Amino acid sequence: MDGISLNVPRGTIFGLLGPNGAGKTTFVKSLLSAVHPTSGSALLFGRDARDPEARRPIGYLPENHRFPTYFTGAGMLDFYAALSGMESTQRKKLIPELLDLVGLDKWGDMRLGKYSKGMLQRVGLAQALIHSPSMLILDEPTDGVDPVGRRQIREILTRFEEKGVTIFINSHLLVEVEMFCREVAILHKGKVALSGKMHDLTAGKGYRLTVAHAPPAVIEELRAKATSMASREDLIDFQFSTRELVNEAVDLLRAQRCDIEALAPTTSTLEEVFVRTVEK
Amino acid sequence: MIGTSIALIRDTFREALARKIFWGMFGLSALMILFFLFLLKIDIVEGGLAAVSLFGRTANPTADVDRLVRGVYGGIATFLYTWGMFLAVFASAGLIPSVLEPGRIELLLSKPVSRTHILLGRYVGNVMVVAANVTFLVLGVWTILGVKTGIWSPAFLISIATTVFVFAVLLSVVVFIGVLFESAALSTMVTVALMIMSPILAQTSTMLKLLSSEWSRQIWRTLYYTLPKVYDLGKMTLAAIQDRTFEGYMPIWTSALFGAVVLAGALWIFSRRDF
Repeated sequence: MDGISLNVPRGTIFGLLGPNGAGKTTFVKSLLSAVHPTSGSALLFGRDARDPEARRPIGYLPENHRFPTYFTGAGMLDFYAALSGMESTQRKKLIPELLDLVGLDKWGDMRLGKYSKGMLQRVGLAQALIHSPSMLILDEPTDGVDPVGRRQIREILTRFEEKGVTIFINSHLLVEVEMFCREVAILHKGKVALSGKMHDLTAGKGYRLTVAHAPPAVIEELRAKATSMASREDLIDFQFSTRELVNEAVDLLRAQRCDIEALAPTTSTLEEVFVRTVEK
Repeated sequence: MIGTSIALIRDTFREALARKIFWGMFGLSALMILFFLFLLKIDIVEGGLAAVSLFGRTANPTADVDRLVRGVYGGIATFLYTWGMFLAVFASAGLIPSVLEPGRIELLLSKPVSRTHILLGRYVGNVMVVAANVTFLVLGVWTILGVKTGIWSPAFLISIATTVFVFAVLLSVVVFIGVLFESAALSTMVTVALMIMSPILAQTSTMLKLLSSEWSRQIWRTLYYTLPKVYDLGKMTLAAIQDRTFEGYMPIWTSALFGAVVLAGALWIFSRRDF
């Protein structure tokens, strides 16, 4: 990492992106003092990150976590809540509530060794939330979770955002990040390559034209006018930057009696922004 | 602070009990207690040993009760110092690397707990698991023999403290190697090597006469005085149990110093490592 400085406003969901080896996990680990910086310092809520007390308002879910399998779901929550400084009576009250929140209320007495990947992810999220942190740091929070579970996690996180909790997410799932992060930063080669509000970064306007069964000559002609082209099954998506260009494309397709599947105005996807940034 | 320490110690207990070998140790202790409870039948007449029966066969020994009881105590203490200690080290060796596994250590470090506290919690928890086992065995045998013979020799109870003390010293080596190399096998090998070296190094007076050069004698002395004295401490315990005298407390404080220095080294390395 080299001179990373990020401004994460309180109470927002912030996404940290980057290709493998960009320094995302190292950045998070240096915040949590699991990695010691060779120079510089990290502050959490104004406190030196090396001070254990600085981590009290933090809830963390690491990527590829390995919870001890001898714990039950409830036992694991009890252990980590105790390490966070919660009293026994408080823990006894909150553990069932948290298990219910992540949809594992019926599984609290089962050993973690029998949990599926998605269940482990959800109980891991409960672990990060149990002590009512002011900031959540989540590394790939929806990894291994089925679509219904992902939606549930998104809803839980949104609820905590509304309560003023700052949520910091490391993820490779750009669609997920785009769906629920308000701000984003892209790390590349240990530096912040791009950062800003999601709607500003994805505001690149244009039109997407989806075509079915077009002859190769027409496809070539459209490709020359388009800014990008992508094939999926029997369909081809063309991205055009202006209304004039997309109208010309439509005229060409109508003249050649080709099928137009869809035409819609677009903004830049986060994926496009990401690829543009890391390929610079 | 106390709640966190209890949580860390309880976690070590949970993990230890999840490992079958600790149950094996408890099972072995329970078997020994049951042996003395059901199979060894002792008849006492006027303070003397009238008959001892084992597996239904009766013998009429001439030895007095006190000698028999002290002999049993000595046997148990020797078992604890050899096989018991080896089993305890073997069973404990995995408890440090397991907590340093990627995906587990980051989560522990993210909590408002210092690294020193985390490692010491593990260390103390591990010592307490073994202490519980040793106490179970020694107290069990002591109570049964006390009830059967009427002899309540508190000297045997010293072996709880000395066994736990020696284990605590050896565990500092397990922790040090565990933190440095994250290898349970290497931790066991180094610690068992120290245990094996101990009776050899304890032959200091003989070896100093046999060694030809001054520098080799110096190396021998350095090794003897620096490394933990498992053998000497075992001899001291036996002497205490059998009401014999022993020469000074040097093996205790030098071993304690060794354990403290090695444990401090382990804490220092752990506090500086990146995970």
